[in-house]
Amino acid sequence: MDSLGGMGSLGGGDPKTQIMRQVQQEAAMQNARMLVEKLNEHCFDRCVPKPAASLSKGEEGCFTACMEKYMSAWNTVSKTYVARIQKESQTGAALSNSF
Amino acid sequence: MDLSSPLANVDVSKLSDRDKQELQQFVVNESQKARIQSSIHSLTDTCFKKCIPAGGVKNGKLDKYEEPCVRQCVDRFLDANLVVLRELERLRG
Repeated sequence: MDSLGGMGSLGGGDPKTQIMRQVQQEAAMQNARMLVEKLNEHCFDRCVPKPAASLSKGEEGCFTACMEKYMSAWNTVSKTYVARIQKESQTGAALSNSF
Repeated sequence: MDLSSPLANVDVSKLSDRDKQELQQFVVNESQKARIQSSIHSLTDTCFKKCIPAGGVKNGKLDKYEEPCVRQCVDRFLDANLVVLRELERLRG
């Protein structure tokens, strides 16, 4: 999620490396885009119940807190989910990647 | 994913068979990672709605009720997913 910038700077390297780098950049970009979309969706819903002529200080403060909370939740989900996948792949249970 | 523009100057026909194989494996791994990340987004979406009380957000940290709720939400969602799969499996006979 740390590579929002730096797109298109493929520079040197052999074709294989160029392709790999491009694929990784696209994936990082897609991930960041998804996060921005979700942040806006959830936090707008919570912080701006009645859109006024401009964003108030209170609404902006709510957005900051809401974004931090959503990203904390993202990290917690990520840790729990990855731990679960690892546990299930060890015990040989059906890997629930189908959702 | 539009790969055409930035890679327009890459001549794929110059890749060796070994490179092609390596790339194929690389793409398989990356797709797997992308699927997992997409599930994480979807789970965060669901669990944020369930665990963080409706209305404005005052504190950025997850509090002592929210954090365990999010963890349990993920685990129970996956349990439920297994129940669905098992039931469908049973129905199929």
